[in-house]
Amino acid sequence: MKVLGITTQQEFFAGSKERNFRINEFLVVEDKQGDLIAEVVEAQTFNRYIPLNVYGDFVDASVIESMKALGYDVDEETIYVAKLRLLEEALYPVETGSDVRVPKFSEIKNLMLRTKKEEGLCLGVIRNTDSLYEECEDEFKDLLYTFEEKGLVKQRELPYIMDLKSMHQYPHIGVFGGSGSGKSFGLRVLLEELMQKEIPTIVLDPHYEMDFSDCPDYFKDEKRDFNAKFKCLQVGLHVGVKFEDLTAGDLKNLLDASSPLSDAMNNVVDVLFKNKDSYLSFSNRLQALTEAQEEGSVQRIQQKIDNAKNNDEKDAWEVRKDLFIQYDKTCPYNSVKGILWRLRRLYNEGIFSKDSRDIENYLKDGFLVIIQGSTRILQVYSTYLLNNIYHKRREYKDAQYKKAAAEYFPPFIVVTDEAHNFAPKGYESPSKSILKEISQEGRKYGVFLALATQRPTLLDETITAQLNTKLIFRTVRASDIDTIKEETDITSEEAKRLPYLRTGDVFISSAVVGRTIFARIRAAYTVSPHTQNPFDELKQKKNEDDEKFMRIISNKLPISEMDLLIATMEIERDEKITLTQDELIQKLENLYKKNLIGRESTPFGYRYIKL
Amino acid sequence: MLSINDELKSKLTDLNGAIAKKYSPIFSNNFDMKIFLEQNIGTIVNLEKLSEKELSKIKEKGGLVAVDGSTNRKGGSFPHYIELYQGLAKSTNQDVEDVYLTDIYTPILSDIKENPLEDEEETDEKNRRLAQIEVKAALESVKKRPPYALVMDGGLIRYTIYAKELWEELVEFCLLNDVILFGTIKDIKTKIIGEELKNIYKDLKGPLYDREILFGFLQYKEMLTIYDELNKKEQSGFSSGFLRSSLSPNIVGIDIIEEQRHLLIDMAKLIVTLTPENSRGVPLFLDIVDKEVKITDDLIEALLERYLDRDIYERLFVSERDKRNL
Repeated sequence: MKVLGITTQQEFFAGSKERNFRINEFLVVEDKQGDLIAEVVEAQTFNRYIPLNVYGDFVDASVIESMKALGYDVDEETIYVAKLRLLEEALYPVETGSDVRVPKFSEIKNLMLRTKKEEGLCLGVIRNTDSLYEECEDEFKDLLYTFEEKGLVKQRELPYIMDLKSMHQYPHIGVFGGSGSGKSFGLRVLLEELMQKEIPTIVLDPHYEMDFSDCPDYFKDEKRDFNAKFKCLQVGLHVGVKFEDLTAGDLKNLLDASSPLSDAMNNVVDVLFKNKDSYLSFSNRLQALTEAQEEGSVQRIQQKIDNAKNNDEKDAWEVRKDLFIQYDKTCPYNSVKGILWRLRRLYNEGIFSKDSRDIENYLKDGFLVIIQGSTRILQVYSTYLLNNIYHKRREYKDAQYKKAAAEYFPPFIVVTDEAHNFAPKGYESPSKSILKEISQEGRKYGVFLALATQRPTLLDETITAQLNTKLIFRTVRASDIDTIKEETDITSEEAKRLPYLRTGDVFISSAVVGRTIFARIRAAYTVSPHTQNPFDELKQKKNEDDEKFMRIISNKLPISEMDLLIATMEIERDEKITLTQDELIQKLENLYKKNLIGRESTPFGYRYIKL
Repeated sequence: MLSINDELKSKLTDLNGAIAKKYSPIFSNNFDMKIFLEQNIGTIVNLEKLSEKELSKIKEKGGLVAVDGSTNRKGGSFPHYIELYQGLAKSTNQDVEDVYLTDIYTPILSDIKENPLEDEEETDEKNRRLAQIEVKAALESVKKRPPYALVMDGGLIRYTIYAKELWEELVEFCLLNDVILFGTIKDIKTKIIGEELKNIYKDLKGPLYDREILFGFLQYKEMLTIYDELNKKEQSGFSSGFLRSSLSPNIVGIDIIEEQRHLLIDMAKLIVTLTPENSRGVPLFLDIVDKEVKITDDLIEALLERYLDRDIYERLFVSERDKRNL
């Protein structure tokens, strides 16, 4: 292998007659300046006689075959050309004609494996490093499996280990990729590693997919149990907001989450919400005020008081009158009503029925806490939760600095899929402001983000700019590729490959390493609960239903069309299932068509019998 | 739009008429060229492509070596130019290394004469050097490992004129070692048929070249082998033929040394086998050799700029024409 053509300090071409180049492999140039390490960024093969237009002639296969028979193999004229980029800029352009060779492991160890496996997250393998695998230390061998065309394969390339400690300098992670590109899968592997390291982590999971209890079939023998390391909590069912702990600001954030509050509505909360209010006291106050406002004037309320049938009613109207006098001027009726509706909606979703203490306790124990709920609920809840726990961590750190006492709160990582829903570009959303705050100053307090999205273009730009490590999976949309190109150090050659990446292959652009690594995510030890094919599911459900009905019906056979009424009654009595005669016939016909029961003709219509 | 001089147009039209008139006797419908050729020139035979078995036999016997040369010149008029020559002998047997030979000539360092007005001598020098370098390359290659056949690019007569001694050595070596020696001619310049025609049709005037007559006449894979008497008349010591080796109507020529004339048709078959159907009629292997040996303008310029002092290069070899860029 030799350096060819015009070279620069950064890039050059190398050619070889014998050895094909592989993309992303490392090679050493024996230059006058000393050995330089370069990475293949583009590989080409070229045969100047195929596709055969020597002087514009089109050559047919028979001639090639004849030449082969003569002993001249045109294929051997193939030359291999690669574009290489130096990892560090050289002082002078690379000397044309210098030899290029395959490096020894020791020469590039520092580029590939900077982190010990105990100190990093072992996410996958670095592609095209199999030639170096044999030479590498045992510590880095047999760590993981990958999925290839053939199925599960033992590690045979160098591992990609993401440096955990460097998150202190380069805190946030972005995971980009279209649907089916392996993005959620990559996120799962990342979370598995975080669990193994017992890093406190909060996951916002709108898809109910981040469950780590199921083990995939291929790992039945080497099952890893994460059950003591993660906890799925559903908003409204397991966790919520303790209304009594809310400040007016928190409450506004919650109410604001589905759509922005108007100024008047903000004012209603400020004016009407009292510290230590319970849900009931606050909503009753709102309710009473609206009722008073519906009467329209003090006189009419006074009339109600005067005409009250009993003392309770009288007292109630007295309260309304006070509220009316105090607040009618500052709180317009429509805004009060609006706040009340929003508050009721949150209540009905169960947000106020629980508190968030569990989450805090699990985090303190180093758990991975998965918060599940619909996207809307999560938008609302995460705003409250993240504000809450981020500030707890912040207070602890600030107090530590001021040498004051404060309750310990651990550093933690916030992980979410579909991050563009939580921090959208272009419009305000309450969860965005807290994510933005964390992205900008979370590093100081040890709070980190890992945001996954299939539409990086839709993610808030300030946040995107703060993602120092980016995992980029297959991306097809041109606008997203452009965003990725802008936001990462990915080269145009690599960007061209983005639409064609295999599922699970990923470019990892890391500020720590200062360049992009082409890697493959390892096989996950757990599996998402959503992996069943929906069409298999339909079939299975159908079979289950049939079996169930067969059990019910089998001891009642034979049933003739004359006895349908009796049969439905018996079924209702024994199984508590009510069927009409038509439904029963339909079900019997269905079983007959599937050859599960027989059918014979009688003078009185059909008769269904056992087979 | 470019405007075209009307005079030029009419002159071209006249020219077309004159040419048509000149060839009218032989291209008219009542003249049967086939009969004339068979009576006076040679036999038309059909060639079959060689089978894979026959080809592997050739491979076992050492394969095929093809020789070609290339020359290029940089500079202006005498004596301020430099010529590079390169000869290549390449074997289909990829174990045999290619033989590259090179030569350089510039009148500046030769003391032949002050200012030769006749262009001929200059051309002679060029032809001599090129022919010699080709034969030398051929000799070196066949001596390494004698092939089954050695094919020269172009007619063999050139070598007897410009590289007589070396050529004789090569012929001798080939005969001793059973190497078939032949040449293929992409651009035939002979007038064998024309001269015979003129003997018979006295009203034909001017030179008549074989390529004009045979253009489109032979069918694909047909070959016209020339009668021995005619070959002898040429006194070159070669036996030759014309064949159409591709679908293109162009004809290529083939020369073989007299002692091996019984192998002429076999070699023609080899040419047909190695020529792509839709090509200009040149065997692919010869095109490959041609391409590898070629000294392109860019190459010669790059070489001179790299290895000559800038002062020498500019002073002696950069002509006014090189600097034109309109």
